[in-house]
Amino acid sequence: MDNLIVQMINENQETLKNNWLKEVNLFKDKEIASYSTTLKLSEETDQQFFELLIKHINYHDISKDGTLDQFFDQVLHTGLPLKYLTQGLQIARRVILNMLVEAEMEQEKLAALYREIDSWLDPILNRVVENSSQIWERTVSIQKTALLELSAPLIPVFKNISVMPLIGSIDTERAKLIMENLLNGVIKYRSEVVLIDITGVPVVDTMVAHHIIQAADAVRLLGSTCILVGIRPEIAQTIVSLGIDLSLFPTKSTLQKGMENALEITNQQLISNE
Amino acid sequence: MDIQSCVEVRNEWDIVSARQLGRNMAKELGFGNVDQARITTAISELARNIYLYAGRGKICIEPIDQLGRKGLRIVALDNGPGIREIRKVMEDGYTTSGGLGAGLPGVKRLMDEFSIESTVDVGTEISATKWLR
Amino acid sequence: MRIPILKLHEYLLITIQVEMDDQTALQFQEDLLNKIHDTGAKGVVIDLTSVDMIDSFIAKVLGDVVRMSKLMGAQVVLTGIQPAVAITLIDLGISMREVSTALDLEQGLDKLRLELEG
Repeated sequence: MDNLIVQMINENQETLKNNWLKEVNLFKDKEIASYSTTLKLSEETDQQFFELLIKHINYHDISKDGTLDQFFDQVLHTGLPLKYLTQGLQIARRVILNMLVEAEMEQEKLAALYREIDSWLDPILNRVVENSSQIWERTVSIQKTALLELSAPLIPVFKNISVMPLIGSIDTERAKLIMENLLNGVIKYRSEVVLIDITGVPVVDTMVAHHIIQAADAVRLLGSTCILVGIRPEIAQTIVSLGIDLSLFPTKSTLQKGMENALEITNQQLISNE
Repeated sequence: MDIQSCVEVRNEWDIVSARQLGRNMAKELGFGNVDQARITTAISELARNIYLYAGRGKICIEPIDQLGRKGLRIVALDNGPGIREIRKVMEDGYTTSGGLGAGLPGVKRLMDEFSIESTVDVGTEISATKWLR
Repeated sequence: MRIPILKLHEYLLITIQVEMDDQTALQFQEDLLNKIHDTGAKGVVIDLTSVDMIDSFIAKVLGDVVRMSKLMGAQVVLTGIQPAVAITLIDLGISMREVSTALDLEQGLDKLRLELEG
């Protein structure tokens, strides 16, 4: 980096800082205040941000000692919006450029310094965006796995009877997972009967019904019986009007009725102590 | 690992060796046991088609890596009579051999990607890919 | 290669533990029908616990065996089909709805007893 700029920036540090803080505060009032009040947008963070920038201008290297990266990570992890960082960097670019313009130097020199500043700030900006998108990707993939794990538990209830409650919409990927969990569970718990409860499935269209029929067929191949329960009136209506044939395996309106049926099939009875 | 392996299919026992090769490669690549079964079954169907309709041909299996996405590709090649009506053979239950008619449409469902090219009297090339989840 | 067929009272028990090629499957079909004829068995349990792949050909042979045995007066139950095998069969579009199934050999025998006596 051109020593002249570094020198100018160091000499005008106070002015630059004040200008920068002023603009950052304007931006914060306008954009981030509405974002969330619980976020800690302390003056301290602003100070630290600016000081780190100046420090790294003197280092001539943005990745030196990693403190800048650390700061970005820390800001993003506290839940501050990415635009606080990107705007902060853009404002830094603006105040430095203003300073150069006011210094009244020759056109050519000025253009060279412009490029110099861009080549210094752009990598930082890229780094910030990169870091934040990495954090996002990681979060999304963790949530996706968590959701998949949550999405289809097979619960053993009585001897040889298990229940799989399905909640939420069912797409092809989830259907595959449901099938695998269901079949592995049947083997693990030696379930003679599994009740699939679709009370929590908002829409049963042809595709969802197809997935459920396939799951029931696979359960049967293993040597177990599948009972579909939780069929609400509107679901029964759509199933029939779509011409879907569910008559191949037993269906019941509620989990309770299905359970009575399952106990019958497995030759068990619930006896009240009264 | 990135070299493709091929099995010549000339008789019924070659079908068994083709699917054993497929299972081993699928296992090595890290496919779960359900996908291993899918891949093995797809290979079995393709190899049997070669044996039944072309008499001889080969099954090649190769690991693939596209932009960091890993998978396994099966290619079934023969110089047999070719398939006159591709649309028909892709229909469930269509059979000319007295089988279940589940072969090709089944392979398509077992795998993630499927393509078929066939010229009458020249031969058939079927390619099917399964991606590692 | 031949798959051994065991006789237990009026039932026949088969545990398939080899990777089946087409010839073995067809040979098995023939052997089983002959054994039903010779013993007058009323029920057959075919255990598939160790089978890690069933393609459309083997599925057809199994389905045929079940129907043929029925014609000869023997009920067949398939047992121990593994989850991965069931999933590939469903993908292939083969649901074998007419075939009776059970989780394992023991339940298969129970099922036969129930169907034949009850």
